[in-house]
Amino acid sequence: MERRTFIDAVIFAYAQIFFSNRRWFGVIVLCASFISPVIGIFGLIGALVSTLLAYGLKYNQERIRSGFYGFNGILFGAAAAYFFQITPLVAAVILVFLVIVFFAAAALEHYLATAFNLPGLSLPFILSLCVFIIFSSNFEWMVHAAPPREVELAFQVPEAMRFYFESLGYIIFQPHFISGMIIAAAILAFSRVLFVNSIIAYALNSLLVHVLYPDPTPAFMIQSSFNAMLVSFALGGSLIIVSKKTTLLVALSTVVSLIFTIFFTGIFAAHSLPVLVLPFNVVTLATIYSLKFRQEHSDLVLLYFLPGSPEENYYYHHNRKLRFDRYRLIFPELPFFGEWTVTQGYDGSLTHRGDWRHALDFVITDNNGNEFAGHGTSPADYFCYNTPVAAPMDGEVVRIVDGLPDAPIDTPDLEHNWGNTIVLSHQYELYSSLSHLKAGSILVKKGDTVRKGQVLARCGSSGRSPAPHLHFQFQLSERVGEKTFAFPISQYLQQDKDGFVLRTFEIPEQGARVRNIEIHNGLRKAFEFRPDESYHFVCTSGAATFEESWSVTIDAYNILSITSSRGTTAYLQVRDKIMMFTGIVGNHDNALYHFYLCALSAPLGFIEQLQWTDSYPVSAAISLPVRFFPEFFLVFVNQLSADAEFCMNKVSNGETQFVISSRQRLRGRGLLRFFNETKEGSLVIRQDGEIEALTVRSNSDTFSAVRKHMEHS
Amino acid sequence: MDKKKYERPVILKQQSGLMNKFGSATSTQPMTDIEGVPVAELAAAYGSPLFVLSEKKMRDTQQQCQRIFRSRYPKVQFAWSYKTNYMNAVCSIFHSEGSWAEVVSEFEFDRARHLGVRGEHIIFNGPAKSAAALEKAVRAHSKIHIDHFDELYELIEITTSLGLKADVAIRVNVDVGIYPKWDRFGFNYENGEAREALKRIAASKTLRIVGLHMHIGTYIMSTEPFRVAVSKLVALANWLKQQLAIDLDYIDVGGGLPSHNTLKGQYLQADETLPALEQFADAITAPLFELESHGDAMPTLILESGRALVDGAGYLISTVLAVKRLSDGKRAYVIDAGINLLFTSLWYKHKMVPAQPTGVMREQANIYGPLCMNIDCIQEDASVPALKKGDRVVLMNVGAYTMTQWMQFITFRPAIVLITADGSPHVIRKAESLEYVMSLEEIPPSLRSLSA
Repeated sequence: MERRTFIDAVIFAYAQIFFSNRRWFGVIVLCASFISPVIGIFGLIGALVSTLLAYGLKYNQERIRSGFYGFNGILFGAAAAYFFQITPLVAAVILVFLVIVFFAAAALEHYLATAFNLPGLSLPFILSLCVFIIFSSNFEWMVHAAPPREVELAFQVPEAMRFYFESLGYIIFQPHFISGMIIAAAILAFSRVLFVNSIIAYALNSLLVHVLYPDPTPAFMIQSSFNAMLVSFALGGSLIIVSKKTTLLVALSTVVSLIFTIFFTGIFAAHSLPVLVLPFNVVTLATIYSLKFRQEHSDLVLLYFLPGSPEENYYYHHNRKLRFDRYRLIFPELPFFGEWTVTQGYDGSLTHRGDWRHALDFVITDNNGNEFAGHGTSPADYFCYNTPVAAPMDGEVVRIVDGLPDAPIDTPDLEHNWGNTIVLSHQYELYSSLSHLKAGSILVKKGDTVRKGQVLARCGSSGRSPAPHLHFQFQLSERVGEKTFAFPISQYLQQDKDGFVLRTFEIPEQGARVRNIEIHNGLRKAFEFRPDESYHFVCTSGAATFEESWSVTIDAYNILSITSSRGTTAYLQVRDKIMMFTGIVGNHDNALYHFYLCALSAPLGFIEQLQWTDSYPVSAAISLPVRFFPEFFLVFVNQLSADAEFCMNKVSNGETQFVISSRQRLRGRGLLRFFNETKEGSLVIRQDGEIEALTVRSNSDTFSAVRKHMEHS
Repeated sequence: MDKKKYERPVILKQQSGLMNKFGSATSTQPMTDIEGVPVAELAAAYGSPLFVLSEKKMRDTQQQCQRIFRSRYPKVQFAWSYKTNYMNAVCSIFHSEGSWAEVVSEFEFDRARHLGVRGEHIIFNGPAKSAAALEKAVRAHSKIHIDHFDELYELIEITTSLGLKADVAIRVNVDVGIYPKWDRFGFNYENGEAREALKRIAASKTLRIVGLHMHIGTYIMSTEPFRVAVSKLVALANWLKQQLAIDLDYIDVGGGLPSHNTLKGQYLQADETLPALEQFADAITAPLFELESHGDAMPTLILESGRALVDGAGYLISTVLAVKRLSDGKRAYVIDAGINLLFTSLWYKHKMVPAQPTGVMREQANIYGPLCMNIDCIQEDASVPALKKGDRVVLMNVGAYTMTQWMQFITFRPAIVLITADGSPHVIRKAESLEYVMSLEEIPPSLRSLSA
């Protein structure tokens, strides 16, 4: 076992208690747990014992490192030392029980995860502690300890404030104002959302308690407060993506948490058992579990990825929605070569209506928008006539209609609406249909397997076609003339006044001039990072110069990542003809992060003046000092955005290279209107696919990295 | 009412009794202006004879060609054939339409570089590349199309001594069953020479095979030869993939597409006998889909068309110098543009139209150029309306191989005017002057006194 992983495991265990995944947070909680040193020591012993056991018994290393096994140990160790006077014998018993806690944690975690897909939270700790307390009640040598002495404060604080901090401290069995202060400060630094939640939950809980009890005991105040706060942490941002609705949920759960605190206090009092965090566990688990059964998960979204801070979760989720919601698992492209114009799109004014409204009609036009040369009285005058029609993606030919002649211009054949048609069947029960083909031009037969881009037939004007065009639709059966099904084109280029704009998983609109993107082997090589590849850079950041290397890995779930020697990891994927980064973890002062900025997504093909846009998660692009204040209001509104425009060109620097120029626009809205920062990135890629250099300039500084090619033996 | 124009009498052979199978006589509309600029004004401003080029026509034709080929194959690249017309302005127009440069000499290579064409966007063809030219091309990362083994060996030597790598293709000579059969360029496909050359290149450490090149001829009047030739290149590409595991970046099918000119041997008008460009495109692109396992990264199809793109955009304004009657009674005209400017008139029947209204009666006439040489005949037996001295005529479809093959013989070469897209004329090459022509000449001292 590596010492570093072990230390991580212990520190992350402390951080996990408050749903944090930050080392510094763990260290602060660890410090805060030593205000009453004995309790702190036993907490630490708990963490060490649990973690060592997990290592010894060869549990999953990543899981151990995340601190899961340790954090129940901390709570148990601290609780045992809080409730009992420590003697050597008691200490020995605690050690034995720590083993029990560990097994309870391992078993419960697995059970909750597999049976209910729920986190284990601190249930193992509570169960073990109950066993411990009932066990101890049999022996007189196990003496209850007096609550730790309050640390004297040199100043007066209002009671409400004191309870707030003491409640926070009590979570790690350090019900001191100072512990609470330290923890509150850490929470504030870690997450404004959690901090605001804790205030809301605390305030509401105090109000309710005072309504129910004219004169509540401090113990009950603290007891109900920390449960309410923990629930607010869990449901208000840590396990659910924060939104306006989570705030309502926090308020509601505070009420429910109080009810269960009263309920459990009633039951447990009979056995002299402390209630501790049981209400929090029950309320959180029950809420999360019940939310899983909704038909729609568009709001109160349960966390579906590895958690960061609530703010990061929020930004990641919304960024993901913005970027990938429209993505599909299959990649249809446009069923032709060259540039075509959409003459009728979805919900068209002519025939794309009713059941057939999700269809596309295409023709070829010249630069002046004409569809034909000459008089336009014969189908052959039309530019699109007799051009190849290709398969939009891999599939099987399931239906063919052939033999219908081209209808004379402006005299559509109303009897044979669809004309000559090919229907293809694709994966996932999706079908595509290509109509008005030229008679006798069909090159495939029923049952043939076709590849994306394979020529199937020629464009014609058969059927209900006033002039040659291609009718293209997706549908859910092989029937010719089946009602249409809306399905996007995975990637295409749309002509813009000064170039082509890359569109992904969108539906071309009427009037758009569109074409497919063709793979360039160099760009493919550049962006198809292969496992075990390594890259070396010499970087300049401000005045500092350093070397950095990247290594590419792929995990068992096929998730591709690049890890920088400077501690940052970026996750990416290549889907069909587009490379895109899906996330980045780690610090920003390295080439990998700036590469992420310069190539958040990129096509594997080239055309002059190719442009596209994309968006970063706010937390990945805007620094904490800027985000800090607005994140207090994140539960109501997000005031920040981080978008980028990219443009790829060829540039000659001795030899010709691809250059992706990018402009990152970091902007504030509403009250933050004044915040407006722009970065300019430039990424140089050699034609043979070697990433050469990158530069990112902002107002204040410049980062640049130059590839260092290692000599191959 | 305008005064009626005088029409001088013409003598026509009586053809009673026999129906003309081509129907009624053709009548020609005069071409009074080119792209909206009156011919008379052009001639007055820039002199006669005068070459006039239309930017709009060049761009329209190039865009039409791109549209036709790109709607039939996913990756298409045009490379402007410099030898067809390497006037800087003309090249710039085609480059701005996205064309690369196709050059066949160091001179053309330098011209392309001078215009700022990227080295790798230059395709270097031809049977006679000097060592210096090859070195330049290697340094510029141009695509060198090797013509023969001696060139291949020389290129290996050059790249090895420079320590540089070069992207190369070979020109493949294929038998497509047409006459004349071109045999002198490239490595032969049928007898296996091409494969030997490719193996040799693959074995070299400095050359990278990026493409295959062919050029089956010029003014090919049928689509079939293209289909046959491209099929053979595809077979060779598949062989490369299987045997040498080489994926090609491109397949260059050269040029050779016809323009709208009618050849001298042709009976019918070219436009009536030639296949449409779409048909050529079908013949060229269809075999490419037989390329093996290129999957989504198909090689680029490169076309080196020149004639088909620029011929129709060129006009030659000329002036009738004399109206004559030959000894056999046949009408003849002497105009101020001859074979010195229209080398192409050796094989084309360039269409000639008057630049001002004429009578309707037409007669057979010989059109002679201004040279004091018997061969200077633009066209024999042209059917023209009656012209008189001083009339302007416009010779059509003269954009290709005229401004590069013209001769400074007996007289000066005239100006070239480009009518830009906005309809304004610009001189893109000045008329020659005595000073210019003599600037390179020197007289040995011993002869100087004679000239005094």
